Amino acid sequence: MADNEETAVPVESTTSVTGEKKKVDLLLKSAGDAPILKKKKWSVDPDKKVVWVIDFLRRYLKCQPSESLFIYVNQAFVPSADQSIRNLYQCFAADGKLVLYYCKTPAWG
Amino acid sequence: MTGENKEILREIWEGKLPIRFLLADDEVSALEQPESLYLLVPRMSYLPLVTDKVYKHFIRAVNQDCIEEMWFEFEGQPLKWQYPIGALFDLYWGNNVLPWNLIVHFQKFPADEILKGGKEAAEFHFISCIKEADSLKHKCHVIHGLQKKDHKQLWLGLLNDKFDQFWGVNRRLMERVNDESFRYVPFRLHQVDKPFLQELVPTIKEDGSCGNFGDLLEIALPEAIDEEGKIKKGYRIITQGIEIPQNTDLQWMSYHLSYPDNFLHVAVLTDT
Repeated sequence: MADNEETAVPVESTTSVTGEKKKVDLLLKSAGDAPILKKKKWSVDPDKKVVWVIDFLRRYLKCQPSESLFIYVNQAFVPSADQSIRNLYQCFAADGKLVLYYCKTPAWG
Repeated sequence: MTGENKEILREIWEGKLPIRFLLADDEVSALEQPESLYLLVPRMSYLPLVTDKVYKHFIRAVNQDCIEEMWFEFEGQPLKWQYPIGALFDLYWGNNVLPWNLIVHFQKFPADEILKGGKEAAEFHFISCIKEADSLKHKCHVIHGLQKKDHKQLWLGLLNDKFDQFWGVNRRLMERVNDESFRYVPFRLHQVDKPFLQELVPTIKEDGSCGNFGDLLEIALPEAIDEEGKIKKGYRIITQGIEIPQNTDLQWMSYHLSYPDNFLHVAVLTDT
């Protein structure tokens, strides 16, 4: 995928670098049969919801409407779609990063 | 205050709410407005689990050509099915009248405000919450030891309102591992028109003493606490329909007052 596409989509333009709203680092890792992202680390507005990450990945990976996409936190659980990135980051980030795994079929029972 | 009090667990489990369901006026296509339907539903359950009767009661009164997924509204607020009914009630009811009047819709699904649901989605969500809660309490050690049939037993216990069936497995999730308290308390603070809040709150404080509900609020909702550590005037903080004393032990509270998804769902209400 083109570089400009990678940077254009997920980085939010609503706040400047010096703005009060601090972005948080997401690490997006593939699991199972999902394609690997060339760029894994993304800076995201913490007010975004999980559903926003799912929509972003679906677009980015060009998922068909019929295909499912699951997100796991720390290979442990599927967060609720209306959960905020802020809450997940506060509770489950390690080393300053929140690691989310994505897959097309449920990877962890 | 640390041992199990089965009587309290049972009282909490048996909490029920009277709800009156009405079909949205502008969705009635029958000649007569269908009668309201009254149900007594468990606080602990979810709307998709207790509303088959509602669907059957109203479905014939709406235009069959434009039926979408059934959803519910209270005073203009679409209700999120993924919160336990008791948590929704504590957040939105606001000392209104009983029964709780909910409007039933089959059209204009507000997809930007609520998620698509159904029983299967509810089961998946429910088990996911339990896994998340266990990752907070025990680093997933207990949930990894459970099998599919245990997940099913938790779900069926909730679905069929069977206390013993549910607690037969849930007890393992609520137990201490190696005699240690939960690492963190699984909780969500709900506020009207805001996303819910969730933070890491340990059951044992740095000085080794047991954390209480007041400590949780100081960490997760400092704006509601005054200089003396008391809940400010104008705030009401409720779970399971009760204003919880601030000195309530967190480990005890998590064990006894959590919803079946293993989270405490706390409504933060303000006068403004």
